[in-house]
Amino acid sequence: MLHCPRIAGGGCFLGGSLKFENHCYDALITSFYLCHPLIFRACLSVRYMYHVLTKNTTVTDHNRNLLVETIRSITEILIWGDQNDSSVFDFFLEKNMFAFFLNILRQKSGRYVCVQLLQTLNILFENISHETSLYYLLSNNHVNSIIVHKFDFSDEEIMAYYISFLKTLSLKLNNHTVHFFYNEHTNDFALYTEAIKFFNHPESMVRIAVRTITLNVYKGELDNQHMLHYIRDKTAVPYFSNLVWFIGSHVIELDKCVQTDEEHKNRGKLSDLVAEHLDHLHYLNDILIINCEFLNDVLTDHLLNRLFLPLYVYSLVSPETSEERKINPQVSLYLLSQVFLIIHYQPLVNALADVIFNGDLSVFTPPTDASAGGVRRFVKPPESLERSLELSRHRGRKRTQKRPNYKNLGEEEDEERAGTARGGGSSKGSRASGETAEEIEMVVMEKCKVSELTEQNITDEEKTAAATRTHTQRSRPFLDMVYSALDCADDDYHALFVLCLLYAVSHSKGINCDLLERLQLPVPDQERSSYSLVLVERLIRVMNQAAQPDGKVRLATLELSCLLLKQSVLSGSHCIIKDVHLACLEVRFPGEEIFLDMFEDEYRSMTNKPLNVEYLMMDASILLLPCGDVEKTRRAIRVFFMLRSLSLQLQGEPETQLPLTRPEDLIKTDDVLDLNNSDLIACMVVSKDGGQAQRFLAVDVYQMSLVEPETKRLGWGVVKFAGLLQDMQVSGVEDDSRALNIVIHKPSSNPHAKPLPILQANFIFADHIRCIIAKQRLAKGRIQARRMKMQRIAALLDLPVQPSATEVLGFGQTANASPSGLPFRFYEQSRRAPNDPTANRSVFASVDKVPGFAVAHCVSQHSPSPLSSPSPPSSGSGSTGRCDSVTASTISAQTGPFSFSLLPSIDDGTFLEHTPPSSSGGESEGGGAGVTVVSSTPSTPVSAPALAPSLTPASQPTISLLTDSSADALSVESLTLLPPADSPHLHPCTGHVGVAPSLQRRLSVPVCTRQKTLSTGGGRETSWSRRWPDSREAQSTFGSLCARGGAACFLARMRQDAQPAKFFTHPD
Amino acid sequence: MAYAYLFKYIIIGDTGVGKSCLLLQFTDKRFQPVHDLTIGVEFGARMITIDGKQIKLQIWDTAGQESFRSITRSYYRGAAGALLVYDITRRDTFNHLTTWLEDARQHSNSNMVIMLIGNKSDLESRREVKKEEGEAFAREHGLIFMETSAKTASNVEEAFINTAKEIYEKIQEGVFDINNEANGIKIGPQHPTTNSTLSSSQGSHQAGGGCC
Repeated sequence: MLHCPRIAGGGCFLGGSLKFENHCYDALITSFYLCHPLIFRACLSVRYMYHVLTKNTTVTDHNRNLLVETIRSITEILIWGDQNDSSVFDFFLEKNMFAFFLNILRQKSGRYVCVQLLQTLNILFENISHETSLYYLLSNNHVNSIIVHKFDFSDEEIMAYYISFLKTLSLKLNNHTVHFFYNEHTNDFALYTEAIKFFNHPESMVRIAVRTITLNVYKGELDNQHMLHYIRDKTAVPYFSNLVWFIGSHVIELDKCVQTDEEHKNRGKLSDLVAEHLDHLHYLNDILIINCEFLNDVLTDHLLNRLFLPLYVYSLVSPETSEERKINPQVSLYLLSQVFLIIHYQPLVNALADVIFNGDLSVFTPPTDASAGGVRRFVKPPESLERSLELSRHRGRKRTQKRPNYKNLGEEEDEERAGTARGGGSSKGSRASGETAEEIEMVVMEKCKVSELTEQNITDEEKTAAATRTHTQRSRPFLDMVYSALDCADDDYHALFVLCLLYAVSHSKGINCDLLERLQLPVPDQERSSYSLVLVERLIRVMNQAAQPDGKVRLATLELSCLLLKQSVLSGSHCIIKDVHLACLEVRFPGEEIFLDMFEDEYRSMTNKPLNVEYLMMDASILLLPCGDVEKTRRAIRVFFMLRSLSLQLQGEPETQLPLTRPEDLIKTDDVLDLNNSDLIACMVVSKDGGQAQRFLAVDVYQMSLVEPETKRLGWGVVKFAGLLQDMQVSGVEDDSRALNIVIHKPSSNPHAKPLPILQANFIFADHIRCIIAKQRLAKGRIQARRMKMQRIAALLDLPVQPSATEVLGFGQTANASPSGLPFRFYEQSRRAPNDPTANRSVFASVDKVPGFAVAHCVSQHSPSPLSSPSPPSSGSGSTGRCDSVTASTISAQTGPFSFSLLPSIDDGTFLEHTPPSSSGGESEGGGAGVTVVSSTPSTPVSAPALAPSLTPASQPTISLLTDSSADALSVESLTLLPPADSPHLHPCTGHVGVAPSLQRRLSVPVCTRQKTLSTGGGRETSWSRRWPDSREAQSTFGSLCARGGAACFLARMRQDAQPAKFFTHPD
Repeated sequence: MAYAYLFKYIIIGDTGVGKSCLLLQFTDKRFQPVHDLTIGVEFGARMITIDGKQIKLQIWDTAGQESFRSITRSYYRGAAGALLVYDITRRDTFNHLTTWLEDARQHSNSNMVIMLIGNKSDLESRREVKKEEGEAFAREHGLIFMETSAKTASNVEEAFINTAKEIYEKIQEGVFDINNEANGIKIGPQHPTTNSTLSSSQGSHQAGGGCC
């Protein structure tokens, strides 16, 4: 052995066996030397392996290792043979080596051998690449014998290896190999039937593997009619009925989890259950899109009649007290949204949507003739899957030996129950797991019992009328429920789900457009000339409620409302919204000052990450009752952005003011600038990696840049580096009074990454004085840059501009300017090639599953994010910078109101005619006519009598995106509207005195601007909730922290509070 | 065999980057690559020791199932760790990382530890992706990074074990909810006494006697 060390390496298959039967081996070694070709070696070794197997037919403690090693080596040789010479397979087959494997398995040789054998088989089947090799292995039915072998499935490792083995085999299925697995004559398809028995295994990886196997089988069987029939006739009903029951049981558990939740303790469990439900839906969809009609019919029938209709849809309207109500309407809406978002199989979703939007109460009358076409109910299948498979297969045969596995627990009971169920009764009682087995019975609706509207060529007006009429005349309990749930007067808990449902239905590829058009539901990207007034007015009402200062409407709800509104009223490139509706939308921002970073950050994340409804519906936390805080400023900013964007789009105007920092306006590397009138400071830049360069430091409005003299033009410079001042940190260098350490971070909202510095260097100046000058200039520049942006924001929001901000560098003249008058940049004359890739942001800019809570939560774990870290940790000017930011953030934390002007109709007649009676209560409607006269309110703050004196609003100009000039908006003769303090419903108005002739002349009344300043920190309010700190708490906390000089802590704290999970919760 | 924790891993990345070979190399060393024989496997388990505790790693390869959306998303969700693998000799496999990562972040639980692996480091002459690029990508996205070779076994142990260490640390910090098995972490049937004599991080527990 020692004389041939290379053999062991070169022919590793022999390595293991070497140690055991050396005497046999010696002869082989000689042969190796004589006949070098690998083929011969392999053949010899396989012979040798065979020899070992024949000598060790009984597994004992002594030969166990030898056998395992032999099996392993055989695998290796076979794979080698597959890739090099198939004669190895001849031998393998000839000697019937698989029989030895089986023999070993059947000896109950213990898990060690079992695991090794299964892994070996896995490796073998996975690495065989030639079809013929595969046929060799599959012939003789040995593999099927291994599949049906009763392993000890209570052992998780054996289970895992076993199911992986089946999965590997299923990946090898094709038209040819299927004949090795499926036996037409005996109706055996062990690979499939054995696998599906584990469909509800407690271990998720096992369930996933089962799903993979079934999908591989369905996909591979399309051409095989016999097998198709077998699967449908013998297995589809047992499998699908059990699967549907399994899904439904999860849904009931999910509902229970929502109902029993206290303080969000169930969140972890809930999110699992939601994810599980999604998994199921995706799985069902994967089956359906294989598009095997045979199977789809059976599956659709089960899903519709045994799950979706009886369990989900029925729960929408069943009275709360009813015992038949299995789940709560909000859960049901949520789950239905998921169904429509994920499943697009036309026969299924169209039928489902039809029931929801057209179905009526007659479906709930008790069955008079149950045989008339099947009863729709959610009921436990009479038999367990394993049992029904056995029954269909072993009919007349002796029952096979039971497997020792987890499912045996309580099986006897199940069988008894199944027996009685077959005996004639319906199965009653509940299982130990708590799943109720009661039944919900419903009469069958004819599949397409659609109210056939007779009109064929009707005008849009007629259509509208028809929609309204049928809505009011025909009983559509489900649709009524859906629309009435859009009311957000108390909270938007139901409304969000309804919006998701409507969104999902309108985007579903499987739903007939006729169905949607009949109800005037918004179909995206379709030409239309009318829209559903019922829906649009409810949407606008949601937006108005969102804009209330203490609005209970969450951002996602608002964003979805905007989406659906756009879908409804944008037809191609033009907007068909009626003026009266457009007038109801007005965008205004409440606060006086906004925390800059948040403002830009929010804009970035809004534009980078548009709402993905599917991802939204993956978030389990939206199922929990809303409570707790949203970071109010972020919310306010986001509401502003959304409504502004909506309003601009509806009017067909482009966005010209946002984002505040446009890449094309910034100085970039290699720009050539005229620096004749600029102050430059020479310095040596020593980067972190030791590189040195002589540069001139220049400070621009928004940026600092490092330049190098342009050789051809005197007084001009080439930019070598430019970075935003707002993202910069300046600090002194300990042992060098001439040096500054400067770090500029890349603005990024990727919460997974630590802030990435784009510049990290020491700047060494000529002397101490110049160093101080540079430091001051940078610090001032930083403050200046931030203030400049604040001004732009202020101008954007039409807030008073603080003149103080402009004094520093002498920009006083811009104080009263329009936003466009504020300079984007300082160096007017210098230009460079406009090659701006503006959209090169990271795809991971924000991994929030839902928009709105931005990235704040991660900040507490790492260092403060560059966007928000306000403090250059230096003395002197650095501390000014800190104060600057904190001030801004705190003020913005107490957001003032959003005011929406609720405009009376100009076009009285139309408005009245088209306004349907609103369904939700609490509105000041004048009965059936739905007419309320809203008195024209004087446009003064006095119009809000409900307000406390301290909250008396200051008169502020309003940004009205409808107006052409702000001067007009302030016109006294304009008419106003409802004080926002009033209930924010959309009021149908008519008969106004002094209605302004044009929509342009309007003014909304700003109300409830909290004018608190930092100094109120001492006299704090006492009535804030401790559990869910709101802005007021933040404010008072700030006061006390400030007193202790802990401003930075406060900032960190504020960010910590903005946990991602709470996004979907309500303010207060 | 008793273990303190069981961690479930998945391996993701383009086809042909050597995922299943890495897995086999880690779980069963006896399959030394010979005669240019590339052997892989889609499932494997192995015991390792971290901090004196027996930890079982269960690794599921998702290869060949990409066509079913339901399958990939479920896999992500059930795992505590993921090895995101690319091939240093194929630039395109590196370019696809963002897509893989986006998928992973979307479907996995937020605590899942992701390790970026540049495989086939033995093929230095055919290298298309610099090590620095891998490092930069990992840094930018908050991943751990390592270059490995399934063929020479270089760094393979470390890749799997370092990922496990990171998960273990997260458990210690209380980040992972270990009672929730859906996170890909399972507590062992019994808490074993600290068994310092066993340093089984060196060998497969099923490797048995007499091999290699």
